[in-house]
Parts: sequence; C-alpha cells; structure tokens
Amino acid sequence: MQIETQLSNQLERYLDLAVSEAKLTAANMANIDTPGYQTRGMNFENEMRRALEGVARGEAPRPVDEKAVDGLISRPDGNNVSIDREGLRMAEAQLKFKTGIALMHLDKERILNAIHVDK
Amino acid sequence: MNLFGLMEASGSAMQAERMRAEVVAANMANAESTRTESGGPYRRQHVVFAANSVDSPFMNSFADASTPSSLVRGTSLPLGRGNSEDMIEAGVHIAQVIEDSAPPLKRYDPGHPDAGPDGYVAYPDINPLTEMVDLMGATRAYGLNSSAVQAEKSMITAALEIVKS
Repeated sequence: MQIETQLSNQLERYLDLAVSEAKLTAANMANIDTPGYQTRGMNFENEMRRALEGVARGEAPRPVDEKAVDGLISRPDGNNVSIDREGLRMAEAQLKFKTGIALMHLDKERILNAIHVDK
Repeated sequence: MNLFGLMEASGSAMQAERMRAEVVAANMANAESTRTESGGPYRRQHVVFAANSVDSPFMNSFADASTPSSLVRGTSLPLGRGNSEDMIEAGVHIAQVIEDSAPPLKRYDPGHPDAGPDGYVAYPDINPLTEMVDLMGATRAYGLNSSAVQAEKSMITAALEIVKS
C-alpha cells in the first residue's frame, strides 16, 4: 500500500524550492555590506515546472539553477544587493512555504479521514 | 537544503554587523586618543566583509565537530548537519580589520604632554559624522538580518505543524 500521493510529492518539491529561495535571499541579505558581492537569484516558476516534470517522471530532485540577478543598480563598492528586493523575496518565500505546509496538512487530513472512515 | 543552515547564514551576518558597530564605537571612543601602545595617535579602524565560500572554515569546523574536543571549544553547534553537498554556508565573515592610513590631524597645543617640538599634537583623523553614518548602516543591516531570522524561525515553526493533527 502506498500512502504517498502525487500531491505530497509535488508539495515536497515546492517546499524545497521555497527553502532554496529563502536561502538565496538570506545569503544576499547577509552580504549586504560585502564589497563586490552580486545578488544571486533563481527563477521559481521555471524551477517549479521542471520539478513537476521530474515528479511525473519519478526522477530524483535536481539542484536549483542559481544565477546572478541582473538589472540591479550597483553601489560604488560593486555590491548590488537591494534591501527592498530581498525583504520582498523573503516575505514571498515565507508565504510560499506556509502555503505548502497548509496544503500538505490538507493532504494528510484526507488520508487520515480515509483511515478513520468507519468512526 | 536545511532551514537551520539559513539561520546560520543570517546569524553570521548579525555577528559581523555587531562587530562593525563595535569598531565604530571604538573609533568614536578614541577620537581624542593621542597615545597608543604602538606609539603615535590612535588610527581609525575599518572592517572588511567577505562572503563565505563553500569551503569556509565553518564547514571544516563542522566536519570535525564529531570529536569531543571541538565541542568543548564550542566552535559550532552540532545542529542541522546535512550531507556536505547541500550544506552550503552562504553567510558572511569579517576578512580583516584594517587601519586607516590617513595622516593624523595636527592641532596646535604646546601645553599638551604629547606635543611635538613644534607645539603641534597629532590627533586621530576621526570624523564623527562618518562614524555615525557607518553605525547607522550597521544597525540597519543588523535589523534586516534579524528580521530574516524571524522569518526563518516562523518557517521552522510552520514545518513543525505538519506533525500536529
């Protein structure tokens, strides 16, 4: 018997990606005063699409493709971390993570209901 | 991928920013110091930040955290030890604290015990405005990283909710 559903596998990838996004944001925030540091970022939508295809094919998760973000204004010391962008990203990653947890909770409830259906 | 690793990264930044604020405080406290152990007036100190690379000293101290002696020294927490591949330490550290090479300010004060034969005293070249701006920057960056820690904490708390029914 299998308790894992496709939804729970997809949610697992979603949570992983939300943590990746939070990790990149935390690294950018930590280096806000490091001379020459370039903001790192990822494309959440592309990564999620790739992860969903991976789940459908039953593949193991692949590492996130992270790259330097362009279009940001550099300060004279060569650092281009923007407080506003990072603050927004952190809030976004946090909400994504909590959304994933809430959905996972629903999925678990559904399975528990199926187990306790006779009560 | 590890949520505790995130907190380590933000924590390293808070530590570095606090160090920067301490250096600013030392600079302001010594704005009038004309004597130091190395001789001459106090020289303004700067901190230089550097991003942690993948093989940071932290990772190495993590690797030998299993030996009891390193736990006694308290080099790192034995928390959240992932496999070395996904434990990317993404924080910041202070690469060095350097001395400003600007020449000292000369003020005419023949009665001062540290006055030279020409009657001028060498004072440190410290501008309170520059120091205050630096302190403000450190405070803001500290606050930013502490709010990141709050966010990470709430994510960990949310993850714990999965096991509750």
